[in-house]
Amino acid sequence: MTRYIIRRLLQFIPVVFISTLIVYALVFAIPGDPIRALAGDRAMSEAVQESLREQYNLNDPFIVQYAKYMWGVFTALDFGTTFQGRPVLDIITQRLPVTLQLAGVTFVVQAIIGVIAGALAAINRDRFLDRLVQVSTVVVVAMPVLVIAFLLQLTFGLNLGWFPISGTGQGLRSFILPAIALGAVSMAMIARLLRSELLDALQSDYVRTATAKGLTRSRVIGRHGMRNSMIPVVTFMGADLATMMSGTILVETIFNLPGLGEQVFSSIQAQEGTVVVGIVTLFVLFFVVINLIVDIIYGLLDPRIRYE
Amino acid sequence: MAEKKTWRSTAVAITAVGAIGLTACGDGGGNGNGAEGGGAISESHLIQGGADPSGVADDVAEQAVEGGGTVSIFNTEPQYLMPGNSSEVGGSKVLEQLFTGLTVVDYETFEAGPGVAESWDSDDQVTWTFELGEDWTFHNGDPVTAETFVDTFNWVVDPDNAQQNADFYDVILGYQDVVDGDAEELEGVRALDDHTLEIELNEPFSALPLMLSYTGFYPLPDEAFEDPDAFEQAPIGNGRYQMDGEWEHDVEIAMERYEDWPGEEPGIPERIEWRMYSDPDTAYMDVQSGELDVLDQIPPNRLPTVEDDFADHFTGFETSSSEYIGFPLYQEEFEDPDVRQALSMAVDREAITETIFDGARQPAESVIPPMLIEDHEGTCEYCQHNPEEAAELYEAAGGPDELTVYFNSDGGHDDWVEAVSNMWQETLGIEDVTFESLEFAQYLELHDNQEISGPYRMGWVLSYPSPQYAMEPVYTTGQSSNYADYSSEEFDELIAEANAADPEEADDLYIEAEEVLLEDMPIMPLWFRIDVSVHSENIHNESIYVDPRTFLRAEQLVVLED
Repeated sequence: MTRYIIRRLLQFIPVVFISTLIVYALVFAIPGDPIRALAGDRAMSEAVQESLREQYNLNDPFIVQYAKYMWGVFTALDFGTTFQGRPVLDIITQRLPVTLQLAGVTFVVQAIIGVIAGALAAINRDRFLDRLVQVSTVVVVAMPVLVIAFLLQLTFGLNLGWFPISGTGQGLRSFILPAIALGAVSMAMIARLLRSELLDALQSDYVRTATAKGLTRSRVIGRHGMRNSMIPVVTFMGADLATMMSGTILVETIFNLPGLGEQVFSSIQAQEGTVVVGIVTLFVLFFVVINLIVDIIYGLLDPRIRYE
Repeated sequence: MAEKKTWRSTAVAITAVGAIGLTACGDGGGNGNGAEGGGAISESHLIQGGADPSGVADDVAEQAVEGGGTVSIFNTEPQYLMPGNSSEVGGSKVLEQLFTGLTVVDYETFEAGPGVAESWDSDDQVTWTFELGEDWTFHNGDPVTAETFVDTFNWVVDPDNAQQNADFYDVILGYQDVVDGDAEELEGVRALDDHTLEIELNEPFSALPLMLSYTGFYPLPDEAFEDPDAFEQAPIGNGRYQMDGEWEHDVEIAMERYEDWPGEEPGIPERIEWRMYSDPDTAYMDVQSGELDVLDQIPPNRLPTVEDDFADHFTGFETSSSEYIGFPLYQEEFEDPDVRQALSMAVDREAITETIFDGARQPAESVIPPMLIEDHEGTCEYCQHNPEEAAELYEAAGGPDELTVYFNSDGGHDDWVEAVSNMWQETLGIEDVTFESLEFAQYLELHDNQEISGPYRMGWVLSYPSPQYAMEPVYTTGQSSNYADYSSEEFDELIAEANAADPEEADDLYIEAEEVLLEDMPIMPLWFRIDVSVHSENIHNESIYVDPRTFLRAEQLVVLED
């Protein structure tokens, strides 16, 4: 097991290198001169533009720029700065907690609501509750996140006033609406996944045996049915947590949460290569680490899976 | 709606239309007649309200809570909080509260009023002497003297410091030497004694006092030169307000009234909190819920419902922010002024501002924003919609029957560009119009390389409200923002003449220059933007004023309850 984990960790190195190179190249490939665009309609003087280009190595060919960037990262932990001179590391340390909180709350919210809805639907098969879950999940999956976010803001923020509309001023409460918006689709997926898994399980021999042995219904469902149905749900939630990062871009912007997603969006627009690379690499790392953890948990959940 | 607005004859009026629902204001009585106040007011309805441009009336100011209270205001994350570097609204409107320049803008007359300088004088518009007040200090207690301005100006211009506003200094004697590295300091800026500053220019420039009100000329304390990056996190200025804590990036900038500010009209609110938003739509809802006090420019999609949402807590203001369609004069097809005039006359600006912009644009009949010069009627003959004449002229001049229209893709311009193109096709018999919509950076690069082959969209907003700034940087020969590559000796001479004239005569000469410009029509003016602001119940209706540079006058907001 330990050897397996070390091997997986070593694989991270080429992944990070390749992803930084690709992201850097993509930002570099955006046409137009970012320094020229900085000042807007009114052009800056040539001398100032030149001095800024020099400062950000923008006159160098791509591979030299990239090499200078990586050199700074490895020798001085210097992740570069924005065009406004703000260190990328500062930005990440300020914004990472916001994004992590959002991801955490989202994870919990979608797990609780998704699992409850899915279980209720399966237990009440073909009755009203089941239909309600089925219909509402289809509606949620079909709705763009943008619309969901707006409806949440309007209903629970503005009209009812239960939650803040934007910002992080009210601690955990501030994250509830963004988390529902960010997790809405996954929530629906979890509910549907669990419903069908649980229905299968409830038809299976071992559950029928348990029922025949006279166990209470709640014990049959809770102990025997749910436990087996949860394996694919856990796998899904792990993978989903890893891809959640891309969803933060939109949700953080709408709810005005100063997290990493919002920064990526504005930095791509400003063609700030170093900022985009720093944050996207972090997302990539996040993704591979979560995948590793999911794989390990998988082994723990199902004794048949063994890693060498 | 009808009776809710208070009418003030001097307030800025805006034209609005039925589509936006700002109806029936016209018959809501009150103490004035709006038509006196605004520029061009058509038969359509108009709204007005907000503060008198000259400041808040005493009886309004008296209603503020004790001490002045706290106001929270929408902002975007500033690019910079270094005056020499700040060229966008998000940073500059914060800096305006933290700093006071040599002069300030008088919004009633659009002339320079006293700031740190109490008075100034020049015989020839070349050599200027500024007498500085003696009580000015930075928030850290350091005195602000003539030497402060000498040091600041030299530092901003120094190419090593890469300050974006450096080229505003190009009128000052010795600027080029400093940029070229041949001199350390500006030859033309001298401290005659502690409180007398002399500025010598390359050529006569009557707009100097007004220009010195601009962000890029604010005085800086020594801390700024020693460690600019650290300084920017909590700028120490000499303005009405001082920083309370550091710049909390993407979240908030908080400032408190500086009680030792020696100017004439100190800030009314005790504390200003600038809240940074990435999406103005979110801010709009925050104002609705009372979380935020003021949003000074609502997003366009909210215009149709703003009246329902805010009753009388919204106001429209004419700004100097203009949009135009330019013609690449370096392309043969656009060399003939008749072609350009015809293209301009074929566009029904009124229809577009009403249907596409919901009244949040004022059709342009001039290049100089109408509020700057009193009684300045539109001089743009070819801005009038005149399809018959346009068609005749276009045919006679042999205008191109295919056009490529260029615009930047990040500003939501698609709808109106399409509308303009449809008008051209229908009126002028142009067969084919293609669109080139590009990222801003790429778009500017095409301009710099003169690779634009058809009409293009551009905008301009005044950093200081002078007719000079509305024209000289964009249309005189060889200027960096002269994307049309327009070059007219007559126009250049008139601008130079106006720059050299006494302020009283200058306006007439600028108008003459404008007439030449609009006859040649290197660009066709389209419209001026109207900023619609909304505010919470906490703020007095008549204390809101968004000035023509699109800056909210935050220092005069009257907070009714905390």
